Amino acid sequence: MGVFDYSREALENLKIDDPGILDRLVDFEHARTVHLKKDRSKRDKRISLKEAVAEYVQDGDVVLDTGFGYVRTCIQSHFEIMRQGKKDLQMIGAPNTNQSYMIVAGSVRYSHNSYIGAEMRGTDRNYTRQLKAGKVRILSEWSHGGIAQGLKAAQLGAPGVLSKQMLGSDIVKYNPYLKVIQNPLKKEPDPSVFIPALYPDVTFIHAQAADKYGNAYLYGPTVNDLAGAAASRKVIITAEEIVPEMDIRFNKKGSIIPFFYADAVVELPYGALPGSMPGYYYWPRQWWEKLMRFSAVSEENIKSFIDEWVFGTKDQIEFLEKLGGAKWMIEARRQTKAAEGDNEDIDFSYQEYTINNDPGIFY
Amino acid sequence: MENNAPANPLEILAYILSAQIKDNTIVYVGTGLPMVAGILARKTHAPNITMVYESGGQDPIQGGMPWSVGGPFTWRKSPVIMEMAYSFGQCYNGYVDIAFLGFAQVDMYGNVNTHMIGDDFHKPKARLTGSGGNNDLTSLAENMVLVGLQTPEKFPEKVDFITSVGHLRGGNSRKEAGLLGNGPVAVISQCGVFDFEPETKRMRVKSLHPGMTFEIAQMCTGFELLKPQGEIPLTPMPSPDIIDILRTEVDPGGVFTSLPQA
Repeated sequence: MGVFDYSREALENLKIDDPGILDRLVDFEHARTVHLKKDRSKRDKRISLKEAVAEYVQDGDVVLDTGFGYVRTCIQSHFEIMRQGKKDLQMIGAPNTNQSYMIVAGSVRYSHNSYIGAEMRGTDRNYTRQLKAGKVRILSEWSHGGIAQGLKAAQLGAPGVLSKQMLGSDIVKYNPYLKVIQNPLKKEPDPSVFIPALYPDVTFIHAQAADKYGNAYLYGPTVNDLAGAAASRKVIITAEEIVPEMDIRFNKKGSIIPFFYADAVVELPYGALPGSMPGYYYWPRQWWEKLMRFSAVSEENIKSFIDEWVFGTKDQIEFLEKLGGAKWMIEARRQTKAAEGDNEDIDFSYQEYTINNDPGIFY
Repeated sequence: MENNAPANPLEILAYILSAQIKDNTIVYVGTGLPMVAGILARKTHAPNITMVYESGGQDPIQGGMPWSVGGPFTWRKSPVIMEMAYSFGQCYNGYVDIAFLGFAQVDMYGNVNTHMIGDDFHKPKARLTGSGGNNDLTSLAENMVLVGLQTPEKFPEKVDFITSVGHLRGGNSRKEAGLLGNGPVAVISQCGVFDFEPETKRMRVKSLHPGMTFEIAQMCTGFELLKPQGEIPLTPMPSPDIIDILRTEVDPGGVFTSLPQA
């Protein structure tokens, strides 16, 4: 039988009768073995996105979503995963908003859930539909902080953490990985949640800059990415720019992912589209509004949206053209720099996409 | 252009939320109205608050209204941007005084649901966002303030899924479950401001907005509301000056404080 003693209540509530499917995310010994076998050589790891996805994403892998939903998130890598027809992936992230359309493409089949949606743009009706149709199975429910602590535990080199989050909620009843236990040092009753260290199979991280060896520089919210990179069996760095190693050593003081985690490096300018990229570009806000307000409402709409934006583009350059090309690039750079306080303030008002008004522009 | 229109319900909500914030405190804000309230408080009675956001941004210099909690306005020239685990860690360690969040449903004990509507987890009427940071803040923050519209469906006796524990089953049950802080201290809706009776921890009317009666508030609620002793106070309303600041400096685009057009 299984190696892990999962919460039976959660297995029942989630109707999981094949708990072996849960193992890889918490299988520390396996992840450590994989890490030990990695080629440590400091070599030029640059390949194309197509090659990276073909080589490093296997059907059924546990994929960690990175960045913050649509901030510095590796969305163009998700799109390539969909284009290559990868199947039956498990997806985890905090947030992990992007799995919704990946389910429609058949790429994601299993969900470790902390947040689905796009904030004020409305609830994700596509996810509801996919769930009801049995196209996605939820394997575990989480809070953002719970996933963050599980990944951080892996980076700290600990079997898990004792947390005071999620206690008493229904989340623990829908998460087979969690156990409520007594804090062993306290004499008084002190319920705590044991959160195991989390080890995804494959993690794409979109960085502002990286060298060809995989030292990657992150600017803006790093969210869970430093921990995720340390934990994940396979790590693919995609970057807006490939810089000389000396630039990282001398100039890039801040958050760095060390090169020896990285299996591959992909030069991928605009790789976070249609999300925003700190220092580089703001969101095409209407794209997300259209996704949530129009495309998510029916199977027909979401399929045509994906056909148009994912399968209808072969790479991020064609995607960028569809957003408005040079005009979009100029606006998006101005917007992000002004928002960050690096350009003079501008007017951020814009024409929203609504069902009755499609402005036809993305800035 | 001068806009002298009376405050709309969203503007009133933003003001009441902001009034919960004391100066020189650390405030954890969610997306939407809580952001508006934080910025309004800063521009009025609480200029020295520090705002913290779940994406890791904290203490930004003043910019526009964030389009997302991960957006640049939440970390504009921040001295430090926290990783997510550390951001909630600050809350655990006692560096957050008050947090503001929304809900899809809230019950008589202040338990929050942002997961689903319906009784079948696998086939819900509607699947909602899930926790995000809602559970973390409600579990850890010293004081929690909830904001949302009040209808019998959104204020049911029992929520369809407990995303975040408020006062659980009342009495001492929140503490017994191992959670920190005071839990929800206020629920703010278009009807009024509610608190929780100290013994039973059941939701109680604290004040009603002008024009509102206890009977109307009760009709908007799926469980029996408790009444405070004596006459029910009126919620203080924003002065024209404050509404002006809200419209011209805080949310000039009306992103979060203009009523949706039909």
